[in-house]
Amino acid sequence: MSLDTPPVAPEVPADRRARARRVGRGALFLVMIGVAVVMLYPFWVMIVDSLKSENQFLSGHGFSWASWRTLTSTIPIAQEVVSSTIICAVSILLILLVGLPAGFAFAKLRFRASGVIFLAIVSAMMVPLQAILMPEFVNITRLGLTGGYTGAVLVYAALGTPFSVFLFATYFRGVPDELIEAGIVDGLGYVGALWRLVVPIAIPAIATVTVLQFIQIWDDLLVGLLFIQNTSERPITVGLAVLAAGRTTSIPALMAGSLVSALPAMIVYLIFQRYLVKGLTMGIDR
Amino acid sequence: MAEITFHGVTKVFAGNVTAVDNLDLHVADGEFMVLVGPSGCGKTTALRMLAGLEEISAGTLSIGGRVVNHVLPKDRDVAMVFQNYALYPHMTVAQNMGFALKIRGESKAEVERKVREAAAILRLGEYLDRRPRALSGGQRQRVAMGRAIVRSPQAFLMDEPLSNLDAQLRVEMRVEIARIQRLLGVATVYVTHDQIEAMTMGDRVAVMRGGQLQQVAPPQVLYDHPANEFVAGFMGSPPMNLVRARTSPSRGGVGLAVGDQRLDVPGAYGASHDLPREEGAEVVLGVRPEDIDVVGSDVSGPTLKTRVERREALGAEILVHLSVADAGAASSVAYDEDVAVSRPTMLVARMAPQARVEVGDVLMVRLNEERLHFFDGTRGVTLRRGGA
Amino acid sequence: MTGTTVGARAPRLTLRRRRQLAGALFALPAVALVAGLIAVPIGQAIYYSFTQWDGLTSTWIGPSTWTQAFHNPNLWTALENNAWLLLAVPFALGLPLLIAMLLHQRVIGWKIFRSIYFLPTAISWVVLGLVAERFFAFQGTLNSLLHFFGLTHVNTNMLGYESTALSALGITFVFTMIGTNTMLFLTGLATLDTSLEEAARIDGAGRWRIFRHITLPHLSRFIQLAFVMTVIALFSALFSLIFVMTGGGPGYATTTMEFLIYQTGFAQGDFGTAALYGLILFVLTAIVGIVQLRLIGSDE
Repeated sequence: MSLDTPPVAPEVPADRRARARRVGRGALFLVMIGVAVVMLYPFWVMIVDSLKSENQFLSGHGFSWASWRTLTSTIPIAQEVVSSTIICAVSILLILLVGLPAGFAFAKLRFRASGVIFLAIVSAMMVPLQAILMPEFVNITRLGLTGGYTGAVLVYAALGTPFSVFLFATYFRGVPDELIEAGIVDGLGYVGALWRLVVPIAIPAIATVTVLQFIQIWDDLLVGLLFIQNTSERPITVGLAVLAAGRTTSIPALMAGSLVSALPAMIVYLIFQRYLVKGLTMGIDR
Repeated sequence: MAEITFHGVTKVFAGNVTAVDNLDLHVADGEFMVLVGPSGCGKTTALRMLAGLEEISAGTLSIGGRVVNHVLPKDRDVAMVFQNYALYPHMTVAQNMGFALKIRGESKAEVERKVREAAAILRLGEYLDRRPRALSGGQRQRVAMGRAIVRSPQAFLMDEPLSNLDAQLRVEMRVEIARIQRLLGVATVYVTHDQIEAMTMGDRVAVMRGGQLQQVAPPQVLYDHPANEFVAGFMGSPPMNLVRARTSPSRGGVGLAVGDQRLDVPGAYGASHDLPREEGAEVVLGVRPEDIDVVGSDVSGPTLKTRVERREALGAEILVHLSVADAGAASSVAYDEDVAVSRPTMLVARMAPQARVEVGDVLMVRLNEERLHFFDGTRGVTLRRGGA
Repeated sequence: MTGTTVGARAPRLTLRRRRQLAGALFALPAVALVAGLIAVPIGQAIYYSFTQWDGLTSTWIGPSTWTQAFHNPNLWTALENNAWLLLAVPFALGLPLLIAMLLHQRVIGWKIFRSIYFLPTAISWVVLGLVAERFFAFQGTLNSLLHFFGLTHVNTNMLGYESTALSALGITFVFTMIGTNTMLFLTGLATLDTSLEEAARIDGAGRWRIFRHITLPHLSRFIQLAFVMTVIALFSALFSLIFVMTGGGPGYATTTMEFLIYQTGFAQGDFGTAALYGLILFVLTAIVGIVQLRLIGSDE
């Protein structure tokens, strides 16, 4: 199917335009690599600095596994990771147990003043812990909850609940009423509808809340610092921060510890990136 | 299986909106009852009250002789098919269908047996392990039906179950649902806004408007003897021609003035109709498109001089839009959903495809006097003798 | 035919009442948790702000606590530091916007780049603070970079001087916000209808015009949200960074409101004043929060 008439010559020869495009793309690629280098810088620092002994670090030459080998004696890292894990797991469980029914209630089971109460809970998202730090600390201490993990777990749960209620309510609003009604006609009560219909449907939202809260709580310092009295129950982030602030621990050891502490959150993040993005833009993304 | 009775059932929503007004309706055991009407007519609310999803403001509602006003949905033993199917997305087809039975505590084997039976009726056998997401629209619709069937309930409640399907599938499922209902013989209340579904599926059809029941009758009766102007205009496509007219003296006794033409109505005082005797009373004349014939100018009876304004060839037939009276004056058609009167006077006639009719032709048409309808000019009710 | 069967009698709970009751009960634990651990402490903070309070005993001394607090230069330093840090916000929004635009070009491997850019988001600000400390230290990366570019006579320790510590903190803050905000903007760009851009290109609009008149207006909701989140983080999430990088110093050079609260309460044991500072922080964030709520509100 060839035409005899030659194609009309474009103003800029096609190959030159293509080349300009290729050059543009190449430059773009280089810029992106540059940004990647900046964003990977923390990991590079952690890795390189952790692979030195204290002397090597001070002199700036040489590598060794010394700080890794002595890591467990420098920082009680295993016990701290266990603490962090327990605190994260229990807090998230509590947030889900409290947030799921509430989100369902605000989205589908309107009751008297539910709109106002919902707004109040959502507003609590904006209250920084520091604003209520003193009364909170005194309350928790007076209740004797700073001994174990209870106090910290409660505070994390309270801080995480408003967002999870908001996210679940937003999610459930997208679920058609008929689905719940079909369950009611099929013989479910509201509790049954919640656990057998609503929760299974909400798996993506649950994943979002879990991932966001995991990173939040795992990475947090303030609550763990103040609401856990026993040093033997410290989560890893607090352990690192306290050692760092003390300025007596060797930097390579700190960096090795940092790397260990960063790993779980990074893995969770890389696997569940999708849910993280969804959660961040919930409400305005459509 | 059971009969269903609405007795003076009323629903008033917050803000004093009356959605259903004093509804009296009896659905016999095994009957297929279609509730039809324009959106907002209260048909869905009536169905939801029957399901127990909406509370009843006044009146009594009974299923199988048991008053169910305050019975919770799960204890009413009715199954509902929703417009959007409301399939549980996290369950397979089999789980969806067996869910109600499982809640009821039936044994696993029993549930499985009933699901297989229902699946066979609906030809869903090979899809039992799929999730709703992996089904086509028609298949989902069948699963929704299946969920209702397995329960062998006292009644099926269906809320516009076909409105989300494309046209071809809708025709198919219309037949299918009617077949299954007859096979199972379960009393069914079927809500739709589609008068074709109403005509083709129902044993009887209840027409609603503005929360009030207009007429309940078998489809053909509804078509041939509408109780009022609204029913006349709602059932049938294209709808019945409704023409404003005034009584006026005529050779045959009484006639009608339509525009500036006079129409003789020999059958006006026949067995069923009873036009007002005084002169100048306002009535609405109704005539179906198939009851208009082109005739010569010398024919007696109800004839009108018209002009062809538009011609729609549908293949099997032609719809001819005619303007009545001073057949030169331009006239516009305004179809008012609420009043269902076309004005100024336009008529739609259904003709055979071979009819030689062109736009601009002036035609004499004769209305089939046996099949004329007369409605009160203000209240819209059919004018008939003795309320027959 | 009424009153003869079970269903005719009104039961204790109608379906509607059941639904409302279920709703109230389902919401109760969340309400209790938030009320007990967030709302009540706000009330307590108001009360304690009028008292002399060491955490055990409190004596009412009235509004004099407030006048005293406002005469405390440390409060003003902290507020000033917060105000200066606001200068970081444009960077914390602009850089991510740029990066998101780059990613949106979808060059080869953009998904990998995206993952890399977001990765620091997962890391604790404690750890990032530690790394930042390494960056700004005497033997740190910053000086190496400066030397590499020939500025051998410069030998800074930005965290060590009052004049530069706050800037270092601000730079670190911008870095920590890049991941989150880029994520937001990229999502926003993904929801942009490409046919709009194409239509504009057919209409002869250049790149800048397309960005200015199509992309940017479309992103406005996302930018607003990012702005609010960034400002709130600035007021209430710097604690970890400050704790490991500077401890609020040198002097009070990097003491922001939130850090001042911690110091006043836990270093000086002046719980009453700390509670009062908390209220000031609360008001500051509430102002931002109201903007946020209006944002959500306009959505529904």
